[in-house]
Amino acid sequence: MSSSTCIRRFSRLSLDRTAHPPIASRSLLATPQTSCFSTTAAQHASAQGKKGMAAAPKRGARTLNIKKNKKDAAVAKKPAPGERKAARKRIVLSNNNALEVETLTDMDKSTALANKHEGQVKGIPDAVVDALRAVEAFKRSQGWSMFRRPATLIRKETTQLAELMSQAEGGEEGKPKTVRRILTGERLNGKSTLLLQGLTMAFLRQWVVINIPDAMDIVNAHTEYAPLPGSQPTQYSQETYTATLLSQIAKANDKVLSSLTVTAAPNIPVPFPAKGSLKQLAEAGVANPEASWSVFVALWNELTQPGRPPIMFALDNLAHIMRNSDYLSADVKPIHAHDLTLISHFVTYLSGSKLLPNGGVVLASTSKSNTPTVSALDFSLEVAEAKQYSPNNMPQWNPYKKADQRVIDCLKDIKVLKIAGLSKNEARSIIEYYAASGMLRAKVDDGFVTEKWSLAGMGNIGELERASVRLRL
Amino acid sequence: MPPPLNLLRPARAIAFRPKPQVQWRLRPSMRTTPSQFRFYSSPSGPATPPAADRSKQPDAKPLDHVSEEAQKTAEIMGRAGPEPAKQGTPIAKVVEGDKEAQEKLPKVMQDSINAKASSAPKGSRSYSTSTTPTSEGEMDLGLVNMDPSTMAAAEVPGVKFGMPTLPLPKDGHVKHRYDDVVEQVTNLLMRHGEKSKAQRNMAFILQHLRTSPIPTINPARPLLPGAPPPSHLPLNPILYLTLAIDSVAPLIRIRSQRGAAGGGVALQIPVPLGQRQRRRTAVEWILNAAGRRRNAGSGKDGFAKKVAEELVSVVEGRSGVWDRRGGVHKLGVAARANIVLPRKR
Repeated sequence: MSSSTCIRRFSRLSLDRTAHPPIASRSLLATPQTSCFSTTAAQHASAQGKKGMAAAPKRGARTLNIKKNKKDAAVAKKPAPGERKAARKRIVLSNNNALEVETLTDMDKSTALANKHEGQVKGIPDAVVDALRAVEAFKRSQGWSMFRRPATLIRKETTQLAELMSQAEGGEEGKPKTVRRILTGERLNGKSTLLLQGLTMAFLRQWVVINIPDAMDIVNAHTEYAPLPGSQPTQYSQETYTATLLSQIAKANDKVLSSLTVTAAPNIPVPFPAKGSLKQLAEAGVANPEASWSVFVALWNELTQPGRPPIMFALDNLAHIMRNSDYLSADVKPIHAHDLTLISHFVTYLSGSKLLPNGGVVLASTSKSNTPTVSALDFSLEVAEAKQYSPNNMPQWNPYKKADQRVIDCLKDIKVLKIAGLSKNEARSIIEYYAASGMLRAKVDDGFVTEKWSLAGMGNIGELERASVRLRL
Repeated sequence: MPPPLNLLRPARAIAFRPKPQVQWRLRPSMRTTPSQFRFYSSPSGPATPPAADRSKQPDAKPLDHVSEEAQKTAEIMGRAGPEPAKQGTPIAKVVEGDKEAQEKLPKVMQDSINAKASSAPKGSRSYSTSTTPTSEGEMDLGLVNMDPSTMAAAEVPGVKFGMPTLPLPKDGHVKHRYDDVVEQVTNLLMRHGEKSKAQRNMAFILQHLRTSPIPTINPARPLLPGAPPPSHLPLNPILYLTLAIDSVAPLIRIRSQRGAAGGGVALQIPVPLGQRQRRRTAVEWILNAAGRRRNAGSGKDGFAKKVAEELVSVVEGRSGVWDRRGGVHKLGVAARANIVLPRKR
């Protein structure tokens, strides 16, 4: 015991003023002043004296109490990390208060590509809803949360897309085709919803669906990237993003991929069973993100073997992949989005330099909100539109604008699917659905439909929804 | 219940045949309709009283009233009879203020006089703690209106598109096209003059009310009389909002008049509030209560979410705003002696 006391006293010795270096003497007030060889802590008052200890107020005197309204410190539990973001990003697909529409029927496999449903509202089957949720096809800004269950209007453009898809399947001749289209149209005109309808039809027809829900997420440098070994010029792979994409593919195409087995041993750096299914292959990439790109390539090779189902390869918000990404190369130069492996893969098929041997649709959608301006893309789309709709009136390139040659090259002979406003019959159909769901309390007649159709800028479906069911006054 | 709509048969259904029996009306919550009540004095149907003379033979006719008979006689004789205005003075008027005469009246008349003296039933308050809008008619419960009478459009010469159906829709005026309550609450939600943000918050609130589960009404905190069943509320979020606000809106405010009581004490005088003022008070209470709620999530809709949750809790009777209303009313009842009414002349 005595030895420990001795050690403590020796340690206190260093508090002796002489033990401090001379520079410390300038801040005398700051150093604790304790008598040496004493265990008593310094308790004397500070030099300035304590604040707020004036004489007690007289009895009955009014004192200023500023802290009167101070909230008592809430000991409420803070949300866990990520919980707030999850709540913000949550997608609600049903409203239990909405009325069940008795006449609403689902789309089904046999009639998915037929044009007899044009102008009707059709429900999306539950299995497809799960798959669409897995590929993140539903957007938060769309009005799914108002109705009992997801349903979409089969509009004219939907039947056009269905026609293209039946051509891709081979149609009567049985020769599969690769269809490449870019969806264009005004803001809120239903481009993403048409993309979703395309995915729905693909799921119903048991295609393999690969969907990149928002191209911004690939290029905004939020996920890790690495140069692909042996690539010339250097390409960059994104392991985490590819692994996530593979997990989405595996989950959404569960049934189709489970029924297919690999034809040859895949060239991947992870062990794989000899007769494994394609779903197992995709899951191997999920489990080993460092191998995810090679797994993706192996999966694509398997899917393009003869006898495999057609592929729906879709991407939303196209403009983001038509310019430099936010990633930097080793010599601190921006990496063009086409140098990212996933995007270059998509662009190869969008530009038509490679074809899908089993048929399929490569579908890209432009977006008019949260999108960069890419003059080369805009010009290419204008040219494509003019080729299809007004060949006598071709646009001229503005020489004062910078042209991205890679973009112009890849969109050289692309075709667009232009989405216009609804017709009045389609508007009436969707408005009647709103009314039958109980979300719209009005008498749906000719005058009402015309009024809303006009207010919506001649049938812009997003504006129509705003004008009739959203309660934004 | 919504009428069945031919939703999935566009080719035929789109032929624009208005169905006369289906009338969906998008109407604000208040509506002017003719009163359902008939005054005792107002004629019902045919203008003849029930005891009217229906016989053809003159000798079978019932005798006229005494004074009418006298008047007829006077007319025949060419003399001045009793004036029609003076005839038939009600007995209640005659015996008014005469205690002795009142005691000798028949029982029925005594009862009616007593009933007139104290109109409120025994054991109940002489004042009301709730209110129903009077000037603008009854409350719209948001039910589907079946009114085929407006369908017949008469041909009017010189009018190209036909006459408008009356009454004109309440949202027909460009400056009053939105619901009053929604507009008022939007303005009260507004901070720093940013109305668009307030409108977005309002839309969020209504959307939240529309998707939130059906409220369970607390019987201790009854809503306005005549409120629709709670299952109707989420489908009509504007009514939901109106009901929540009108149910907790106070009838009075307490004005503190300094120097009126003497001794340096302010005299508390209850002052009645108009409908808009009552709503304003209620909304401010609700916004205050919402501001004290714990922030659950993140993002720009946080406050709107709290307000919407507070509105639901008002309807469910959980909100502290009810106590506040009760306190004001209690104080008002205690201070009702301080009301100085203008002297009758």
